[in-house]
Amino acid sequence: MPTVTIDNVAVEVPKDATILDAARKAGIWIPTLCFHPAVPPQAMCRLCMVELDRGGWTQLVTACNYPVRRDIVVSVSSDRAVQARRGVMELLLARAPESKPLQALAGRMGVTGTPYPQVSKTQRDCVLCGLCTAVCDACLGRAAIGFAGRGKDRVVSTPFRQPAEDCIGCGACAAVCPVGTIQVRIHEKEGEIEISPFKTRVKAQLCQACGARIVSVPVLEEALGKARIDWEKFRRLVRLCPKCRRKAAAEQLAEVALAAAQAGYVSRPKAAAFLPSPRRGRGGGGEGAHATPPLTRPSATLSRKGRGNNDPKGSA
Amino acid sequence: MTVVATKRFTCVADLEEDRRRLREQRKSAARRVRVCIGTGCAAKGSRKLYELFCQAVRETDAGVEAVSCVGCHGFCQRGPIVVVEPGEIFYQRVEEPDVAEIFRETVQGGRVVERLLYQDPATGARARQAGEIPFYKAQQRIVLAHNGEIDPRSIDDSIAVGGYSALAKALATMTPEQVLQEVERSGLRGRGGGGFPTGRKWRSCREARGEPKYVISNGDEGDPGAFMDRSVMEGNPHAVLEGMILGAYAIGSSKGYIYVRNEYPLAVEHLREAIVQARRAGLLGEDILGTGFAFDVRINRGGGAFVCGESTALMASLEGRPGEPRAKYVHTVEHGLWDKPTNLNNVETWANVPAIINRGSDWFASIGTEKSKGTKVFSLVGEVTNTGLVEVPMGMTLRQIIFEIGGGVKGGRAFKAVQTGGPSGGCIPARFLDAPVDFDELTKLGSMMGSGGMIVMSEDTCMVNVARYFLNFLREESCGKCTPCREGLAQMLVILDRITHGQGQPGDIECLERVAVILEGTALCALGKTAANPVLSTLRYFRQEYDAHILQKRCPAKQCRGLFRYQIDEKACKACGVCRKHCPVQAITGQKKVPHVIDQEKCTLCGTCHEKCPFSAILKV
Repeated sequence: MPTVTIDNVAVEVPKDATILDAARKAGIWIPTLCFHPAVPPQAMCRLCMVELDRGGWTQLVTACNYPVRRDIVVSVSSDRAVQARRGVMELLLARAPESKPLQALAGRMGVTGTPYPQVSKTQRDCVLCGLCTAVCDACLGRAAIGFAGRGKDRVVSTPFRQPAEDCIGCGACAAVCPVGTIQVRIHEKEGEIEISPFKTRVKAQLCQACGARIVSVPVLEEALGKARIDWEKFRRLVRLCPKCRRKAAAEQLAEVALAAAQAGYVSRPKAAAFLPSPRRGRGGGGEGAHATPPLTRPSATLSRKGRGNNDPKGSA
Repeated sequence: MTVVATKRFTCVADLEEDRRRLREQRKSAARRVRVCIGTGCAAKGSRKLYELFCQAVRETDAGVEAVSCVGCHGFCQRGPIVVVEPGEIFYQRVEEPDVAEIFRETVQGGRVVERLLYQDPATGARARQAGEIPFYKAQQRIVLAHNGEIDPRSIDDSIAVGGYSALAKALATMTPEQVLQEVERSGLRGRGGGGFPTGRKWRSCREARGEPKYVISNGDEGDPGAFMDRSVMEGNPHAVLEGMILGAYAIGSSKGYIYVRNEYPLAVEHLREAIVQARRAGLLGEDILGTGFAFDVRINRGGGAFVCGESTALMASLEGRPGEPRAKYVHTVEHGLWDKPTNLNNVETWANVPAIINRGSDWFASIGTEKSKGTKVFSLVGEVTNTGLVEVPMGMTLRQIIFEIGGGVKGGRAFKAVQTGGPSGGCIPARFLDAPVDFDELTKLGSMMGSGGMIVMSEDTCMVNVARYFLNFLREESCGKCTPCREGLAQMLVILDRITHGQGQPGDIECLERVAVILEGTALCALGKTAANPVLSTLRYFRQEYDAHILQKRCPAKQCRGLFRYQIDEKACKACGVCRKHCPVQAITGQKKVPHVIDQEKCTLCGTCHEKCPFSAILKV
């Protein structure tokens, strides 16, 4: 297994792990914007630049997708790397100067302002990180939104800028958006869920008894289509009394929460709410590196290699 | 008239026999007229000339004259070009009324029409053949050797001049490894801009694991002012095909793509025709020349994006995805098109390969400089007297290219700079005119070879505007994926727009330099990484122009409107009153027979008077 010496801390990582993986393991924080463990790294925002030692010369590379294939030496805190990341953040702040989440991230990086004027028009502070489109494509398999336009005209949009037919109103795009551009809006009167600003609306499933809003209808239909009853598990559980059945469920939930906390998907306080007793997990750095993203398809993400817990137990 | 080879060569001997026959045929032909239908000459109406010549042949009923369409000779300034055989009489600037005279005098009568020959502006001497013209004398044509000689739509013509002889030699007498070694030893470096050693790229692809392997020809040529690849694809498409087949043989590939920008319809047409004919002849497809080696190629047209000239963006485009580059931490020779080992080379690079195989790596390596072997085709454009394509050995100086071959700056204006390498390159001032042109020398001067664009600039060119022009181009063409390129170019362009409009501020240059550093270090692809080069190189050599714009609100080259004044030349003014009538703010006063005067206080610097004056009596000061 190759060794990454990152800011003088040596960690071993599996071959083809990224520098970001190594940094997490070493407890070193590298800012990211367009990175999310649920989708393949995009390396678009260019915020995670680090300096790679090439023996004689150095190269700035993006940590989120640089594959480690042999022993390498990386500097996160070198002047050149710090200045590079600062430069990128200053350009981003110029693009969306009013964005509080962006300012918060900048603050963590030690960047308090930007020398550049605002010269780009944005769609509600959108920084074009691409997480929404990536999640819709890679996780949902729907690609209801994508990038339209080239260069300065680049925007996130639905096909032909019309309400997307493939959108199921799940709100995953809104959940991963780091700057709050995408909002899920509820329209009570029509019983509809809108994904703003894409103008896409889906019908909401209401409780058949009390009329409360549950979830979007297409999401429900997807779930029904994909739901599988684990009969093996059912046969085991049905032999437990209700009290013990609840206990077994709680233990499983605790396992999931612990794994999620270790992998950095949820903060430890949140995960602790599911733990039966005060148990401290081995949580690595990086938690809070992004706004706490909710658990999206825990089974899929937990079994991804290089993510800490390789538990193949799968679905909770 | 398209000549189609109907026979299929089932072995090398077949091909060579046909070659001998075609050669004899060419020699024994009576007079022949070759009309250039390359895009440049076609734009000046050369297709009509071709039709007129064909008509003349039909009408005379003699039946022995032939008229051929040929590809770009390179001397585009003097098009349309018509060459008459035998004698290789080189006629330039041929117009429709000249056709009858050429046909009667030269084709039928064997006499030369003096006035249509090139005349040396210095000596007044007329050149009968291309070789006597200074433009051609210093050139060494390997890639463009047969441009202007052969009908690009005829595989027979190609074969007659040696087309596919390198392929025959390789398949009959060399192993793939030997072909690869020849290219390695030749020292050939990529001609698309990167200058990466071609042999090394082939070697990496050959050694990479994965099937199938792909070879790609990059014909996306997007640099403004560059048209080298266009002329090769239009004028000698078989050279490109042959190079690709040889490369596929060396690497172990059986499938290739030629990515041509959609704005080159003639190149697409000629390549398509060439592929059809090569397949029919058994030189492409299954069982090439009966050796069992299989390779076929497909043309893909671009969708109008400069960024698709970048190799990973090109591959994304081929795959049907938006043309956006990706990180090259994993090289495309290992994981390229559809994740398979892919070898991408520029059109001109491929066109060099047959000559290397035929004449040997030692021969190729004897041309050029220590680290840059062979020749390079440059598109010499801008304020130069002889605009066109020139092919010279690496190491020739800028002065030789621009003055000896190019005829110096148009209109006797003073030379100021030459821009090389397109939007990724830089401007080189007069004091480096004696620098040899090769990959490393140009990089040392803050520019780069790039794909071969060479834009000559005179004293009337504002260098700040040059930087602005390239930045504007890149901003339009940026894919927009990564922050620094998308946002950084926008910031730089806003600053340069202000400067060229007289709104520059102290601190602007420092800001430009700061963004340039960010771009170079953090951009995702070469477009972004090199985007600041035009700005940086003009800052390096023409800082005083930036200072004049920013501090004095003045454009020394008198190009940026509003940043220079107009003044009426008393001696030249004929008091005609045209300027006075057209001035929108009545800033000009004068009467009959009295030289007019511009009131500088009232003048809005709109430039109307300058445009309208019939005596060019209004000067920019």
